This record gives sequence, structure tokens and C-alpha cells, in this order.
Amino acid sequence: MSTNVAIEIKDLTKKYDDKVAVDGISLEIYKGECFGLLGPNGAGKSTTMKMMYCSALVTSGELYVMGLNVKKNFREIKSRIGVVPQEDGLDPDFTVLENLLVYASFHKLPSAEAELRAQALLRLMKLEEYQDRSVETLSGGMKRRLAIARGLINSPEVIFLDEPTTGLDPQARIWIWDFFKHLKSEKSTLILTTHYMEEAEQMCDRVAIIDGGRILTIGAPKDLIRDLIGKEVVEFDTNPVDLNYYLGRLRAEGYSYQVIKDTVSVLVKENQEGRKVVDLIASDKIFIRKPTLNDVFLKLAGHQLRDE
Amino acid sequence: MKFKDFFTMPQVNSGAFQVWSRNFLYFKKTWLVSLFWIVLEPVVYLGAIGFGLGAFVNNMGGIPYIEFFFPALLSTTAMMVAFFEATYGNYTKLTHQKTYATIMLTRVGPEEIVAGELLWAASKGFFGVVGVTIVALFFGLIDSYKIILALPILFLMSALFSCIGMVFTSFARNYDSFIYSTSGLIVPMSLLSGTYFPLEQLPSGLRYLSYLFPLTHGVAAVRGVLHDGTPWVVGVHILVLLLATWLFMNVAFFRIRSKLLK
Repeated sequence: MSTNVAIEIKDLTKKYDDKVAVDGISLEIYKGECFGLLGPNGAGKSTTMKMMYCSALVTSGELYVMGLNVKKNFREIKSRIGVVPQEDGLDPDFTVLENLLVYASFHKLPSAEAELRAQALLRLMKLEEYQDRSVETLSGGMKRRLAIARGLINSPEVIFLDEPTTGLDPQARIWIWDFFKHLKSEKSTLILTTHYMEEAEQMCDRVAIIDGGRILTIGAPKDLIRDLIGKEVVEFDTNPVDLNYYLGRLRAEGYSYQVIKDTVSVLVKENQEGRKVVDLIASDKIFIRKPTLNDVFLKLAGHQLRDE
Repeated sequence: MKFKDFFTMPQVNSGAFQVWSRNFLYFKKTWLVSLFWIVLEPVVYLGAIGFGLGAFVNNMGGIPYIEFFFPALLSTTAMMVAFFEATYGNYTKLTHQKTYATIMLTRVGPEEIVAGELLWAASKGFFGVVGVTIVALFFGLIDSYKIILALPILFLMSALFSCIGMVFTSFARNYDSFIYSTSGLIVPMSLLSGTYFPLEQLPSGLRYLSYLFPLTHGVAAVRGVLHDGTPWVVGVHILVLLLATWLFMNVAFFRIRSKLLK
């Protein structure tokens, strides 16, 4: 295996009793990369990540983290990675600072070093003035920042973030994504799962879109958008009566499209023109926009509601 | 669980000590409330049952009632404190607080978590025993070095009930589940194990049943040590406690590990 690979996965599966959560995934994640696992609820992205950070057992297949086998060398792997789980898992029995110190003790950090590292992280995460507060009194954004600080306490080589911004208000989200940009600039390897497509598009060097425990596609967001969607999207609202008529015209002109209820998104390829679509459709609710990763996601994963 | 799993010692590294230390750190923050229930409660029992009720009973089994009751009080304290820590306390950390899941993100694994938690609950039970012993010293109930010999047995009792509690925790679906273990096992045991009156008072069926209770053996061993019981009988009781601890410890390891790492 080459030395620039952080994670190597071959034909990985995970079964809970008889339910297949991960169904034969193969994947390589490189060092210094920000990699996103995207997918609807229950797609298997969190389970895949859990196996990477050794909190779930592998049913079959191979999984190496920094060249170490998760089945044998999980202790060494866990001492070299940082994890920010979906539910923060902060210890309500302790204060902000104690949470970091206790966690550092599990990592076997000497206490003087742990103290320095904890103080530095609290400053970095803008939590230094709350260090003696009970974690119960923190806001959701502060809790998440503390969970991130905790994940960084052992100076990890690979950082796992499971839905790091879910449930936070916009300000807290922006702050956290900015912080990840800072981590990225320091050449950390970041692996994250998220529902926020626009953020994944900005942040991730590559993404894998997962559904039903399988990888549907994998690549740089820019490339996926170009290859699967095109250069523009023309979106318009119509009514059920006119819908079929419009779709017939679009097909005749060689356009592909996605329909979500009464909204049609026409995918305009490199060699096509969005303006011409506008001329075809007599709708006053029509506009041309840049395609996004969200279009890729909806195209591949469909748009049915998912329940956990 | 395979048969041989009952007899193999789990592989545990020093992470167990960090788990223990986490609990000790919390204990230091909340020692006052702990003191209330793990020491004050037994002392109230000592006053009410030992001195209050004891005033009407001239002697029991050939010794003053309070001296008959005191070994049972120590054993019951070890049982109660360790058991409640290993059930309500550990269940909270296993489920609501997700403490174990978070610890498992570090190099500390399920084996160390179980070992650290069992050792902690045992320690807390033992703190209770030491607390009650110190109070009893002031009441003039301890007049012999023999208490030193009883303390290791009481630690073993704490360890046993921390293992039993942890097994119940692994089966619990919610906090109400512990009502079965408390009302069905702990309370009857605390009344029928030769604690308040000698086993000979029980009808013979119940008496044989009470020999299945671990507390019976604990009380008998501690009483034997403090009041010059037959050495080999005390030895047999200790052996029963050791075997039961070994059994429940292995079940606790197996059950909790398979809950933590799926």
C-alpha cells in the first residue's frame, strides 16, 4: 500500500443481525484530503465511519487505517485518530475543562501536557471563559465545539466528524466550517458525513454518495456536477396538466430532467444552452442556476422521504 | 457465551485504572452526598435496629444483639452500595450519558471499561464499609483487631455485588427494570440472610433457599471472623463468595462487551 493512503477499504460489509447496513464498499482516502460521505438517513455512511474509527466490528472485508488493520491494531489506530461523534457524548458529571482532561487521561497523555493542550484547544475553540462551567449549561454550538476540541486533544493524524453541524444554528455552523478550513490548511486528513450539500461542495476535495449501503458515485464535487448534471440547471414550476406536454418537448430536444412533484429541473449539458430551454417553456416561474452537489445527490439517491 | 468463557480471565490493560480514576474524580466532587447515603443510612440502621430493637433482645446466638447485627450491617452496606453503583450508576453511563461509547473512542476498550467500572463499584462499597467501621469505632463496637481480617471479606462482597449489578445492567431495558432486582433479590436478601435474626429461625425450606443468597455467605463469613467462628466454615463461605464473584464477573464482561462493541 502506498504511503499517501490514510484509509483503505476493500469490499467492506456490515450486518446487524440480518439487516445489511453496509453492502460491499471499496474506497481509498488519501492523506491531507477532506473526504465527505454523503447520503440519506440510514444509507450506511455513519456505520461505515464507525468501522473506520473502530467503534463497530467489521462483518467482512478489509479496512486499514494508516496501514493498520482495524481487526487487529484498533488500539494503535484509536490513539492516532480523533473522533467527533454525532451525539457529542460529553460527560455531564464534569466541567468543560475536566471533560478534556479526563478524555486526555484515556489517551494516556501525561497530565502536564494534557493541561497545556486542553488550554490551547479551549482558546482555539473560543471556550476558555467557560472552562469551569458544567457542560449541561452550554449551548448546542458550544457543546459541539467542545466535542471537537476533545477529538483534537491527542493531536490526531486523521479526524472523523459524524454530521458535525447537524442541529446547529447558522452562526454556529459557519464558525465550525471555517474552523474545518483552518484544519484543512494545516494538512489534516478530515473525513466527515453531512447532509449539507453546499458545505460538502465547498469543503470536500472528494465525496462519496452512499445509499442502501453501497457507493453510488465517488469523485470531486466539481467533476460529479459536470459529469452527472451539466453546466446549468433550468428550474420551473408547472401544473400536472401541462407537465407531460413540457416533458415531451424537452425529450424531443434531447434534454434530461428531474421532476419533483410539480417542479422540473432541466439538466443542461456542456453542448446545450439553458436559454433555449427557457424559450421552450411558457412558465413565469422559471430560472437558470448553477448546478450544485444537491442536484447530483437527488439524481442518484432519489427524492423520496427517508425515515431512519 | 461458550462454556470456557466462564473460566478465562479477561485481558485488561492499564486503561482500567483511568476508568476507575474518572469515577474517583467525580466521587471527590460529590463526596458529601455520597457520605449521606453510603454511611449515614447504615448508621441510622445501627441506631434504630442495633440499639433500639436490640434493647429488647437480651442476646442472640449467644452474643448481645448489636454485636450479632453489626457484621450483617457491614455486609449489607457493601452489598447495597456496590449494587446500586453497578446498576443505576453504570446503566446511566452505558445508555443516557453515553460515557462508555465516548471512552471507547480512545485506546481504552470494553474490557478496560468493564474492569474499571467493576473495580470502582467495589471500591465505593468498600468506602461505605470503612465509613461505617469508623463510626462504629466511636460507638465502642469495635474492640478487636479482627475487624482487619473482616475488611478483605467485605471488599470481596462489594466486588461480588458490583459484578451481579453489572449483569443486571446488561439486561436492563430502562430504570424500572431494576425494580425486579431490588425488590426481587436485594431486599429479600437483606432480610433473610441471617442479618436480623439467625437462619435457624427460618422454616427449613426457606433456610435452604437462603443458602443460595450470596449475602448469607458474606454475613456468615464476617460474623465468623468477628466472633470466633469455626475457621473451616468461614473458609467455605469465602470460597462460595470467590466462586460466585468469578462467575458473575465473567458474565458481566461477556455481556457488556457484546453490548458495547457490535
